[in-house]
Formats: sequence, C-alpha cells, structure tokens
Amino acid sequence: MSGQTLLKVENLSVELEGITVIKDVSFELKKEEVLAIVGPNGAGKSVLLKTLLGFFPPSAGKFEWAPGTTCGYLPQRFHIDHYLPMTVGEFLKLKPNPKYSIHKVLELVEIDRHWLGKNLATFSSGQLQKILLAWAIIDQPQVLLFDEPTENVDVVAQKSIYDLLHHLQDTLEISVILISHDLNIVYRYASQVLCLNHAMTCYGEPMKVLNNETLSKLYGDHAFFHHHHFEENNKKSHE
Amino acid sequence: MNEFFILTLISGVFVAAASGLTGSFLILRRMSLMSDALSHVALPGIALGIIFKFAPLWGGLAALFIGVLLIWLIETKTKLATESVTGVMFVTALAVGALLIPEEGLLEAFFGSVEKITSNQLIFQTALAAVIIATVLKFMKQLTLFSIAPDLGVSIKISPIKMQLLLLVLIALTISIGIGFVGVLLISALSIIPAATARNLVNGFNSFIWVSVILSAVALSGGLLIHYFSGMNPGIATVLVSATFFILSLFKRR
Repeated sequence: MSGQTLLKVENLSVELEGITVIKDVSFELKKEEVLAIVGPNGAGKSVLLKTLLGFFPPSAGKFEWAPGTTCGYLPQRFHIDHYLPMTVGEFLKLKPNPKYSIHKVLELVEIDRHWLGKNLATFSSGQLQKILLAWAIIDQPQVLLFDEPTENVDVVAQKSIYDLLHHLQDTLEISVILISHDLNIVYRYASQVLCLNHAMTCYGEPMKVLNNETLSKLYGDHAFFHHHHFEENNKKSHE
Repeated sequence: MNEFFILTLISGVFVAAASGLTGSFLILRRMSLMSDALSHVALPGIALGIIFKFAPLWGGLAALFIGVLLIWLIETKTKLATESVTGVMFVTALAVGALLIPEEGLLEAFFGSVEKITSNQLIFQTALAAVIIATVLKFMKQLTLFSIAPDLGVSIKISPIKMQLLLLVLIALTISIGIGFVGVLLISALSIIPAATARNLVNGFNSFIWVSVILSAVALSGGLLIHYFSGMNPGIATVLVSATFFILSLFKRR
C-alpha cells in the first residue's frame, strides 16, 4: 500500500484515572488500508479507538488525522432498550450531514426497506450491527472504526458483517480500523495488524508479524495452539 | 370564564407542553423519578420567597438553577450517578424547606396554588416555556443521541457533559414553572405520566414526543378546568386526568 496517509499516530500514551492504559503506540493508516488491532481483554484496544475519535485526550505523544478526514464509528456495545420508541428510519435521520439518501445506504448495507418503519428494539444484535453500519457510512466517511462486539453476536452474523465491511471497503474505497478477537478475521481481511497489550508488541503485515513469538508475547502460551492450528489449515488449503 | 382564567389556561398549555417534551427525555434515559426528586430542590428557594415576601416562583427558579449546577458539578467531579447526587440534594433541600416554610405554605408548595400566580408571572412562565420548547427543538438530535447512545454521540462530537448540563437546566426550568400549577409533589403528572402514556401508545420517536406533549397539555388544561368548575385542587385534578390517560393506554398497548 502506498496510498495517502490518513492518520499518523506518534508515541501515543493514554492515562485514565491515573492508570496508563496505552503506552507509546505509533502507527499509520493509509487510504484503503485495513488495520486490525488485536490483543487480550483489557489491553486498551477500545480505549485506543475511542482516543482516536476524541473520547479521551492523549497523556503523551500525538495523533493527527489528514485534513478533512471523517470517521464512522461502530461501538462494541450498542444496547437498545426494549422501551425505546424509535424506528430504523428515525435512527438513521439522527446522523448530521448525510451524503447518501436513506434508501441508498440501505442498499449499500443490504438491508431490506421494510426495516425502516420497524422499531429498533425488535432487531437481533447481528441485525443491529448492520443498522449501525448504515448509520456509520451515511455521511460517506473516509475511515470506519469498528469495535467488534464480544457478546450476543453469533458466528454467522459476525462473518456476514465482515463480508459486508470488506465489500464496502472495496466499493466505497474506505479505510478501516478494526478491533478483532478472531485471528482468522485478521488474516483474512487486514492488510496491517497492530498487537496491543497496553504497549505495542508488533506492527506490520499479518503474515509477516503474527508468529508464535509475537502471539505468545501478546496472549500467553495458549496462543500457540490457535496460531499453529491456523497455519496447518492454511497449508492444507494451499496444497 | 374570566380573562385571567383564560390567561392561566394558555400559560398552563405552554408549561405542560415544555414538561411533556423534557419529560420524554427523562423516560428515554430511564430517569423517571428525576423530576420528582429534583422538584424538592425548589423548596429552600420557595421558603426564602415566603420569608422575604417575594413570589415563590423566583425563589424556586433560583434554587433549582443553583441545585442542578451543583448536581452537575458534583456528578462530574465524583463520577457518582446523577440519581445519587440528586438523592442527596433532594432530602437536604426537603429538610431545609420543611424547617423554614410555615405549615400552610408547605401544603401550597407541595400541591400547588394556582390562584396565587399573578398575571405577570403567567406571562413570564409562558415565555420561559416557549424558550424551553425552542431550545429542545434546536438540540433535538443531540439530546436524543446523548440519551439513547452516548458513544455514538461522542463519535460525532456531541459532548455528554454539555448535554447532561443542558438537559438538567431544561428540566430545572420546566419544574420551576410547573410548581405553581401542580406543586412540588405532583410534578410527575406533567412530565412523566404523559411520556409513559405516550410510550404505551406509539412506536416511533416523533409520535412519542408529540403525543407526550399533547397529553401533558390536555391533562393540565383538564385539571385547571376541573378546578375552575368544581374548586378541586388543580394539581390533584391534573394528576387524576393524567393517570386516567395512562390507565386507558394500558388497554391500547401496542
């Protein structure tokens, strides 16, 4: 990838209530690149994503978005209260400065038009992910920040959202920063990977930097099995 | 029907509309008892009005305004939940108010005393209600996102701290102009019961907001008319009208 740089992060550290959650992280995001952030629970992945969106200020270092860069965000948790009186159409209209019409965005994320008049609370977590994706891209952002949900989304729904993300990335030429807990997803979709356990333990192309040593350092020894298992599968599929 | 009562009715419709509107956001945030608890914060101000012979409206308005600023500051500094800080403020204000207000004045503060509202106060209440309605309409998208998905709000640069302050101030102002009609104890008749009833009746957000506004206005108008023709306390009459709508809405649940 040698596209235009959209984001430059230099020696970024973030402290929350006196505790260092992210320490000395540096990376870049280029146009049309998919950067995956991996790491164990509590490693600071969501905090990193939220810092880039302006939720938390850096305690040291800096990050800089290219002028005019806009971001769409899909949070890890999107809890819809069953009591909430809101249809999908009303929810999508809450986004300021939409660039696509509602019908166009529904088409892009492969949502049936009949969903528009339905209450948000009637949808499953997987379906809500699609609705959130529509929300995230309706103002035509250059970058999507996707924090993978860890609960209530089944494997099929998860795969379908990644296929959709991949398709959107191709057709709309957007860049993606995603947090994933599944290394198969990282190998399949990411062009760059950043290993995070408060500090950055690896950064580069997944096939080059994700090895037994980096994964063990990141997750502990049980990562060997997963990686080994993946490599075996990978070899078989190439044979 | 005399001119003063018609002015009271018009002012009541505006105040109730503002209450229905801000009450909708309390329902969305699952903070239904917030307006009830917050209304007690007006009591020390009402007490000062009685002691120093100025209209309780001004004292209540000032006390509520200072009260929500304190709640917001303490909440922001200590990370305690809004309800917890409001709980502390509410009992403290109730104790101070009960200590200072004479028994007869206390009953009026608790259940409203519409006949003591002057025409100047009615005009002020109407104007303030119009400002509250206009402000909510202007910040409708931001307040809604902050209420239902604060993370999405932050991602598009909506500050939750500012939105929380805005919502608290709007609620405080709404309560201060509603107390004269229904009293400190019955303020939920204007803010929460209409919004809860609206939720039972409709599915969409826009219809929820407008049904809540209309129900609140109809309840207070009904309460004032019952008071005019029968002499019943208008606050109590308003609660009964509002509660009747709520009970009927249970039979017509979506």
